[in-house]
Amino acid sequence: MGWVTTEHPTREELDACVQCGLCLPVCPTFRLTGRETASPRGRLHAMSAVGEGVVEVDEVFAGLLDFCLGCRACEPVCPGLVPYGRALEGARAEIAEQVPGRKRLRRWQTTTILGSRAALRLGSLGLRIGQKLGLLRLTPARYRRITSGLRKLGGRGQPTLGHAGGSGEAGTVGLLAGCVQDEWFRPVNRTAVTLLEMAGHRVEVPRSQTCCGALAAHDGKAGAAHVFAGQNEEAFERYDMVVATAAGCSAHLAGYEGLGSSAADITVAVARAIDDGRLPVSEVDRGEMVIQDPCHLRHAQRVVDEPRRILEAAGFRPVEIDPVALCCGAAGVYTMAQPEASETLGNQKADQVRSSGVTRVASANPGCEMQLRSHLGDDYEVAHPIEWYLAALEEDGRGDD
Amino acid sequence: MSYLEALRGALGEANVLEEPVELHLFSKDASLLRGQANVVVFPQDADQVSEVVKIAEAHKVPIVARGAGTGLTAGASPTEGGIVVVTTAIDSIEIDLENRSAWVGAGVINLDLSAAAAPHGLHFAPDPSSQSACTIGGNVANNSGGPHCLAEGSTTSHVLGLEVVLAGGEIVRLGGNAPDPIGLDLKGLIVGSEGTLGIVTKALVRLLPLDPDVRTMLLAFPTVESAATTVSQVISAGMVPAALELMDQRMVQAVENWLQAGLPVDAAAVLLAEVVGETEGVEAEAEIIADLGRANGATSVEVARDETHRATLWKGRKSAFGAIAQLAPDYYLHDAVVPRTRLVETMSAVYEIADRYDLTMLNVFHAGDGNLHPLVAFDASDPETNRKVHEAGDEIVAICLKNGGALSGEHGIGIEKRDMMRTTFTELDLDAQARLKEAVDPSGVFNPSKVLPAGSRCFDFGGVRRKELPEGVWV
Ligand SMILES: Cc1cc2nc3c(=O)[nH]c(=O)nc-3n(C[C@H](O)[C@H](O)[C@H](O)COP(=O)(O)OP(=O)(O)OC[C@H]3O[C@@H](n4cnc5c(N)ncnc54)[C@H](O)[C@@H]3O)c2cc1C
Ligand code: SF4
Ligand code: SF4
Repeated sequence: MGWVTTEHPTREELDACVQCGLCLPVCPTFRLTGRETASPRGRLHAMSAVGEGVVEVDEVFAGLLDFCLGCRACEPVCPGLVPYGRALEGARAEIAEQVPGRKRLRRWQTTTILGSRAALRLGSLGLRIGQKLGLLRLTPARYRRITSGLRKLGGRGQPTLGHAGGSGEAGTVGLLAGCVQDEWFRPVNRTAVTLLEMAGHRVEVPRSQTCCGALAAHDGKAGAAHVFAGQNEEAFERYDMVVATAAGCSAHLAGYEGLGSSAADITVAVARAIDDGRLPVSEVDRGEMVIQDPCHLRHAQRVVDEPRRILEAAGFRPVEIDPVALCCGAAGVYTMAQPEASETLGNQKADQVRSSGVTRVASANPGCEMQLRSHLGDDYEVAHPIEWYLAALEEDGRGDD
Repeated sequence: MSYLEALRGALGEANVLEEPVELHLFSKDASLLRGQANVVVFPQDADQVSEVVKIAEAHKVPIVARGAGTGLTAGASPTEGGIVVVTTAIDSIEIDLENRSAWVGAGVINLDLSAAAAPHGLHFAPDPSSQSACTIGGNVANNSGGPHCLAEGSTTSHVLGLEVVLAGGEIVRLGGNAPDPIGLDLKGLIVGSEGTLGIVTKALVRLLPLDPDVRTMLLAFPTVESAATTVSQVISAGMVPAALELMDQRMVQAVENWLQAGLPVDAAAVLLAEVVGETEGVEAEAEIIADLGRANGATSVEVARDETHRATLWKGRKSAFGAIAQLAPDYYLHDAVVPRTRLVETMSAVYEIADRYDLTMLNVFHAGDGNLHPLVAFDASDPETNRKVHEAGDEIVAICLKNGGALSGEHGIGIEKRDMMRTTFTELDLDAQARLKEAVDPSGVFNPSKVLPAGSRCFDFGGVRRKELPEGVWV
């Protein structure tokens, strides 16, 4: 039947692949299996075959793409500039449309909940009580990595949604609070507000915003993702910079047509302020800290130096654990959808951290943070680079509040 | 029992793929020619490969070995159908520090081997531009070369021994750590045989010490000729740099578009040169190359500042083929080799052919050893363009042969070059090769129809005289 939606991978996108194979070794699923069927080239090849009418969009085709982490490690190494992430979203939209039973699957998780703050708050309250009473041990295995990787949800302070403050000498920033981010990772958002205001920005967290739509898009819910994008483009159109504190969200924002180059990850905004002298550099040597690169920061946005510069400004010496930055296996809903592969990748990543002998870890994405915490256990401290940075400033007596 | 059932029994269902989509993905390598696999298997060790060979022979089904599928001559394309045997699961590395060698599984990725050897101060010298992806098995089968093979020789110079599964499922070990093992050099027969004689499961390879120092430099030239002349003069000056790689303007532009490394996109040609050794020697040599370049009109000479800068320059060179995708959906790459002294005239002739056929031609090649890679970027879905590309291709090969060159520098023959074998070899030569193939693979299951053109075997030798090979030819 071929493609049936307007989202499908285009011939131009797919033709950009000359099948050189240079992307194979950086692909986590190829590394796990050694199979073309689990490689970027293979997946693109399968998509092309659908376009040529050789292959149907069926369960088997869907299986090939389900196994993909969407980590986009295959993009920066591709000399043909193949837009793999876009093609993948297109193919997933086709799967949602064409494969029986796929249309409603996971919709509950990725659109209804994430789009609704009330549902998120309620869920978080449940989790918080569960944490307090020690009930999360009882979570079904499939979800346990998530519950065991969660931060302590008590004492998070107020949500940032609706916040407005700061001078604005350095320009205005619209902060995407994120759906899960403002609930489960509220301290990261609060830190972002503090630092951006210290750096001379006017920071607003407009209430008219919604979920960035990344998880919906990755899950083939192209329609929902477009609706989210439209609403956010409107909410954020008047800011000099639109910042997200989760790498997964900032990567998705960067793909919005309406925002153009104003979208930035928080690590980019903070590193820029440090470079410009708008934020201080600590003189104290705080020792070593492991740096983990979230795929959506390093591969999707090619942001590599910024988190390191932030740690250095905080007085830490960043310790590298993985030259190619293989995915940790968190990858959105992957922990639940492909528990086995996720487990193996999570263990690999944890082993890399352990062999460094350092117990403090910086990670700029909530999914990675949870995966790391869950696999590393309580002896390790995992936080966002900007949190380590602000804590260092406060220790030096140079924090704002 | 069908051979599919037999395979499932021998390898377990998880290691046998049969879904049409899955088979489609294994139907070609990095070249254009597509075959059709009947089944794809992932043996975990030599014993399982042996089982697969026995099953294939019993049922008379072809076996096509496959590593990473980065081959450029359709060697791993199952053009006659059959069983595609993927070696990626055979991936052990055992380093023998005393002998500076390693037994390596066929499925090990070239660069992974060097990474594993690096902590011991060693590396595997053959470095095809695809080294981040291609496997040792593929390197051995194609006797692959790379930029650094100018000084170190191609894969065959680095293979000391092999574990091979031959006809009948027999697992043999050929060669070894001894400098000159007794008997015939049978491993030499397997290296470069492109999967037509057996399946390599392990290779004993030589590891060389990492170079104490290195200088990598990029020279920009106003003409392709001035770059090529510099290459000849460097070699005539008695130096064997670790690498001498040339890219023409179109190629540099495509690479720069992706890499954003500030490459000189205005130059007609760019030469990437690398010298290795002790610091003083390296500095002196780099100086000579820079001087020769300037004497030939080089507009800039840039020496890599540090390891990151060096890595970036190499990344540009090694990703060149892939960058073509920005220009057109398909490419046809020639892998011709000419004596270095004929480089300049061959290049001019090649450009002339492309212009005459109105084709987009890019060049990137191992200039040091005269290995050209003229590359045509085109859209294969247009039959008229297709025809032009192939006609121009035949002319390019003809001109290379006329200038004393050979059919393949390093990518092998596979199917792409198969029918051109007759232009280099006499019937007698081909017959000898076909008899060899018959002797080693009596049932003819190993990668049939590759390398040797149909009808290579002739039974009547009367009147066939040996065609003289042109002087300086590489075969
Ligand atoms: C971008 C790019 C750059 C390249 N640069 C170079 C270069 O600089 N120099 C160069 O020489 N080549 C180059 N190549 C060609 C190719 O990468 C090499 O030929 C490589 O050695 C193939 O390895 P592979 O694992 O991909 O083998 P495949 O493509 O899978 O197979 C190649 C051949 O080897 C056979 N084979 C594979 N494994 C085995 C085995 N275990 N036993 C027996 N036969 C086997 C196959 O049947 C086939 O005939 C390049 C290719 C690309 C795409
Ligand atoms: S690196 Fe790019 S062009 Fe090469 S196979 Fe992968 S996706 Fe295709
Ligand atoms: S997105 Fe990640 S898992 Fe998917 S093909 Fe690319 S590298 Fe592989």
